[in-house]
Amino acid sequence: MSAADQGVTSEIVRLDGHVVDSLLLAKVLDTIVDAGASYEILELEMGTTSLDESHVRIRVSAADEPALDALLAEVQVHGVNREDASDAEVVAAPVDGVLPAEFYSTTNLVTWVRVDGRWIQSGRPEMDCALVVDPAPSTAGADVGRVRMVPMHRVHAGEQVVVGWRGVRVENPTRADDGDTFGFMTSEVSSEKPKAVSLARVAASIRDARHRRERGAGGGRVLAVCGPAVVHTGAAPALARLVRDGWVQLLFAGNGFATHDIESNVLGTSLGVSLGEGILAEHGHANHLRVINEVRRFGSIAAAVESGWLGGGVLYECVRAGVPFVLGGSVRDDGPLPDVISDTVAAADAMRARLDDVDVAVMLATTLHAIATGNLLPAGVETYCVDINQAVVTKLADRGSHQALGIVTDVGLFMGELADRLCGPEQQPGP
Amino acid sequence: MTALGWGRRFLLCRPVHFTVAYEINPYMHVQVHPDPDVALAEHDGLVTTLRTAGAELEFLEPVAGLPDLVFTANAGVVDRDVFVPSRFLHPERQGESVHDIAWFSARGFHVSPLAGDEPFEGAGDVLPFGADPAATRGPVLVAGYRTRSSVGAQTNLSALLGVPVRTVELVDERFYHVDLVFCPVDERRALIAPQGLDRYGCRVLEELVPEPLWLTDDEASSFCANSVVVGDVIVMPSCTPRLGRILEDAGLSVAVSPVGEFLKAGGGCRCLTLALDVDLSAAGRPDSQRVGQSADEGLVHELP
Repeated sequence: MSAADQGVTSEIVRLDGHVVDSLLLAKVLDTIVDAGASYEILELEMGTTSLDESHVRIRVSAADEPALDALLAEVQVHGVNREDASDAEVVAAPVDGVLPAEFYSTTNLVTWVRVDGRWIQSGRPEMDCALVVDPAPSTAGADVGRVRMVPMHRVHAGEQVVVGWRGVRVENPTRADDGDTFGFMTSEVSSEKPKAVSLARVAASIRDARHRRERGAGGGRVLAVCGPAVVHTGAAPALARLVRDGWVQLLFAGNGFATHDIESNVLGTSLGVSLGEGILAEHGHANHLRVINEVRRFGSIAAAVESGWLGGGVLYECVRAGVPFVLGGSVRDDGPLPDVISDTVAAADAMRARLDDVDVAVMLATTLHAIATGNLLPAGVETYCVDINQAVVTKLADRGSHQALGIVTDVGLFMGELADRLCGPEQQPGP
Repeated sequence: MTALGWGRRFLLCRPVHFTVAYEINPYMHVQVHPDPDVALAEHDGLVTTLRTAGAELEFLEPVAGLPDLVFTANAGVVDRDVFVPSRFLHPERQGESVHDIAWFSARGFHVSPLAGDEPFEGAGDVLPFGADPAATRGPVLVAGYRTRSSVGAQTNLSALLGVPVRTVELVDERFYHVDLVFCPVDERRALIAPQGLDRYGCRVLEELVPEPLWLTDDEASSFCANSVVVGDVIVMPSCTPRLGRILEDAGLSVAVSPVGEFLKAGGGCRCLTLALDVDLSAAGRPDSQRVGQSADEGLVHELP
């Protein structure tokens, strides 16, 4: 689990009785603090005579669910009881692809479901899904079931879907201190923030991810989500270096980015504009169509690389380095390239299927793919959104990806500096 | 000293079927059997000592297969004519309750079971302390929890009897009932074994007991707190010279009544007795309310 995944989970508990005179309240609060957890007294109703019981409601917060469980078990002996102690209610899905009407709609936060008195952590968080409880296998040694987050279209008739709110808990992501590598829960975005600080943060995140990956403790994969402007602004060579040097493990984009990445490497233009001179090439308006047509002839981008026809660029480096990419289609795509998945539901499923161990995501100059990816990402994924347009970051946050840190800047300049920081300054050809 | 308002009538049970048949506390070892004749002789000695001190005794019929029925302190809690039966933690002792309830019912006690289902082991884990003779303050229940009784059960008992409770955690399994760490001596003094308590429990008892008599490690582990006070006589399983002097300075006479065979089952003098004359009715009610109470609630006779 990465640092960013270390959330805070809390539970509301009650303590009733002669808890003040018996110093039970003091003991319980001391025990909470001694365990490294924290508390917030939500209600305190003191008995007015020595006979009256006092009633206290306390929110207890701990680093994670096992720590909270252990703590609450420890203080239960002093009379502390969980306020919500009911199992989640489940109803069978009526038909394939349809949820029970009152289904619990998930967030992108780590979620726990109470089944048969035990809290079970769901699989990778994803917003706007349902919670499906799989029964414990009767033959295996495991005595508890499993909980999955399942998008609506993937649910099967008869699967047990959580309905209502009871017996479901979500963990809040940690709010990192200033100066930490990642400023979580900040949807603040401003074009006036110092770019060097943001750049250093992104670079540190990616470096930390590599350390996690190399330690083999799970996690540590970096996802780049790219819009066509990455190519138009000249950021693609920097991104290609990052892929080549092993700083990127997964890439999401669309037909546009892929086409212009290939066009720029085969024809030297992006949407017909010469990247070297910045002017429209002769008959350049059709360049991207000719490139798509050629790749369709090869059958795939990998085949085009294999043949030697495509000899550089981001996708070239992806193919060479074995970095998987998912190209999601849209209704206005030309061609599209043979690798583009034009069934958008299938494209989202393909993206979903590759998200395991991703804990850093960098969205580069793309609105549609940034939001599509944001919808799939757990809130614990460190997410950076680099765009010249402030509205993109705001949109991303408004759609629930509150963890995204916005960096309003030109992606071309930003990526060049990021690649220099991570890969070292680019070797200039000698005189 | 101002003698305790209770402790002149007790319930005992002759150790006819007493043995160590199971292990539910750190003292019990099924290989270490008490000598039945010695146990009977020790019990007779305790009976004589209590009667000599002025106590009136009643006896519960022994039952074969219930060896711990001799420890009547765990039968329940008595408040005037109300008997609150225990809910034993261990299945080995749960069979005792039906006999306890039958005895109290037959003698006209109202049997009031505790709400809920949490374990509760009677006067072994609940002792009244500190009724003020001027009746400005009633007794408070000193209740142990964790090893045998739950804190929730003690809270329910407080609500049922209308008596404030101070719950103290029993943190050392050698002192598995509160009557191994706390013994009211008179209305201002109590023996306290801090070894069985945490700092919160010690603080609570410090606040409650004007003149605490702290026990040394040796005194605590030789069951000095498991004593019975009858007026100005304290009947103890053992006593050290130090503690004896302190108690005599406080106006008590010490009567040691050896109960070594019962210590093999983890019980001393207090465990072998249940006070039948406890009256908790002055509990925490200010004067103004007390005057308004009717005589049938048994309050008036307590007024000076």
